[in-house]
Amino acid sequence: MATVTLRGIQKNFKETEVLRGIDLAIADGEFVSLVGPSGCGKSTLLRIIAGLESASAGAIEIGGAPVDGLRAADRNLSMVFQSYALYPHLTVAENIAVPLRMRQLSAAQRLPLIGRAMPGAAEQNREIDARVMEAARTLEIDGLLERKPGQLSGGQRQRVALGRALVRSPAAFLLDEPLSNLDAKLRVHTRTEIAELHRSLAATFIYVTHDQVEAMTMSDRIAVMMGGEILQCDAPARIYEDPADLRVAEFIGSPRINVLPAESDATGRISVLGAGLPLALPGGRQTLQLALRPEALTLTRIDPLLHGCVAHAENLGHEIYVQVTLDGAEQRVVLRADPALQAQLHLGAEVGLTFDPARALIFDAEGRRMRNVVSALQEVPA
Amino acid sequence: MTTADTFTAVPRERAAPSVDRRQAGTGWLMSAPALALMLTILIAPVVLALVLSFTDYSLGNPGFNWVGFENYERIFTRSTYAKMLSATFTYVLTVVPLSVGFGLGAALLIQSLTRGAAIYKAIYFLPVMATLLAMTIVWQLMLHPSIGVINRGLEALCAMPVTRGLFSLSFLGLSPEATWFGRVCTEGTPLWLGDRDYAIWVVCFVGIWQGFGFNMVLYLAGLTGVSRELYAAAEMDGARSSWERFRLVTWPALGPTTVFVVTITCIRAFQAFDTVEALFSPGGGPGKSAYVMMFAIYEKGVTQNLVGIGAAITVLFLVFVMILTVIQRRITERKVHYA
Repeated sequence: MATVTLRGIQKNFKETEVLRGIDLAIADGEFVSLVGPSGCGKSTLLRIIAGLESASAGAIEIGGAPVDGLRAADRNLSMVFQSYALYPHLTVAENIAVPLRMRQLSAAQRLPLIGRAMPGAAEQNREIDARVMEAARTLEIDGLLERKPGQLSGGQRQRVALGRALVRSPAAFLLDEPLSNLDAKLRVHTRTEIAELHRSLAATFIYVTHDQVEAMTMSDRIAVMMGGEILQCDAPARIYEDPADLRVAEFIGSPRINVLPAESDATGRISVLGAGLPLALPGGRQTLQLALRPEALTLTRIDPLLHGCVAHAENLGHEIYVQVTLDGAEQRVVLRADPALQAQLHLGAEVGLTFDPARALIFDAEGRRMRNVVSALQEVPA
Repeated sequence: MTTADTFTAVPRERAAPSVDRRQAGTGWLMSAPALALMLTILIAPVVLALVLSFTDYSLGNPGFNWVGFENYERIFTRSTYAKMLSATFTYVLTVVPLSVGFGLGAALLIQSLTRGAAIYKAIYFLPVMATLLAMTIVWQLMLHPSIGVINRGLEALCAMPVTRGLFSLSFLGLSPEATWFGRVCTEGTPLWLGDRDYAIWVVCFVGIWQGFGFNMVLYLAGLTGVSRELYAAAEMDGARSSWERFRLVTWPALGPTTVFVVTITCIRAFQAFDTVEALFSPGGGPGKSAYVMMFAIYEKGVTQNLVGIGAAITVLFLVFVMILTVIQRRITERKVHYA
């Protein structure tokens, strides 16, 4: 178990900048997710940490020791691949044993047939078999040990890949979208299992995913990556409630966060779609963007801040996602409503919306979070 | 609906056996043309060869006598046929492993290239595309004892003290007779095609030279199917050397390709004919040292019109190929993994 520290990691493929200076310090035993849309460089970053690819610039330390000159095999890391990358000709037991055989047995002891007769091999093999069995029991695949990967389901293969990673005690586990080939139901189940595995092993996990739900549910911290840089790295709740960048706010959360055009007048007073808010931003007149999570918006009849009509409603059973076209705005906003209101939310129904100004997230025109927003309740609109 | 169901269900149950029989009859009728073709074109010639191998038939004779196993007895007792079997197995056992090995080696080297792979592929594939008969004539010229470029080259190397000393290893204190090159320099260059010690190896060399490019192409196709992520996994699992990665990933993944390549190469090796025909016709080389099976069949069955003995060798040839196929099937079932 160890810390992983990245300093100024850059990666260029010819002219293309894939990573532009990644700094990340991962604590011992921490579960960090690298999340972002495809092409953001998260998998490349993981492969650079693993040593499968070299960085164009920057330094990596694992457990406090620099590993920049070390090849992947010598970095003492385990990796779970998206395609699982199991050896198709080996049984489950042999697959899980490979990392131990490669590291603990000499070349002579690994020879087919005669290898087992080499001095010391019998004892080593007994130990390896015991550890394979232990790993298989942890993952409940001890009944499959004699099968070949071709005879396993996707979920079972995924477990074998996990088994191969955890059979030895690496400095850190690297997981590259391990759940993306599973069906939705199994994914939810395995999510819990990986989180529990992390708790019981207390090992450092670096988990790459494009699925924000996976990142939110399992991680201690999420690093949201876009365009080759980390936009924000924080605890899941912090990322959701207090995003530092509009792109982070838009990427995390489903349904997507609502973004409305807003502005501040000469006194700094913020208004959205012509409705003044009890919020102010020092710095005079400027164009702003106001973002609201769907649960921050509520339907109201009394003194609504915004007006619109229902454009679409999705009933999920426990709640309804209502899409509302606002008067004076091009885009729709989404909010969550109680299914009991279904009858009133027919298409075209005129609704009034309100929200708690304290839950509104203010960004500037470039999408940077404006944190110096002050409450302006004392000023009564003229 | 219910009345219709019961109405149709009852008679159908009773009629079932005759319907089955009629369907079976139609099935046989429909497959009859294919069966007839298969029997006449594929099976009948083999059976005919088997029948002829028990006779002394010659083409043009009005009749023939049954001679029992006499033809087979000859094959296993006469020295000519002992030489035939020896030459055939020498050829197969040399050409198959080496051309498969070189094919795999060339494919692996080409795959590791970042640029220029297409040129190497084209060069290695040239001998495959060229007609073997035409290329054999070129080899014949090159191997000519006095005007051939190979012996001229050897003589030139012998003439220079530096290369003579280097290749005959005399700088290590060895006598000129101790090395092959030393003997060439002192006793004269080999007769290649006229010497029974060299003839079959020249045929083997041409066979390998001509065949490995084909195997290389098959292996290159096989290599494209090996998952890149498996190599990454092998590296993460601690496979440090390229040999370990080859053992863990490449070789198992190439299993199906290897089975195919070995089968094809074996059959082609057993069928070797044109090199011997071009270099050593008639006779099959000095002291019949390059008298391979196909050439023997041609010589006996066609040139000398001894159809009976030719047929017997053909049957033997089929038996060898069958045995090979069975062995390969066994290995395939046990060892090769088809992903």
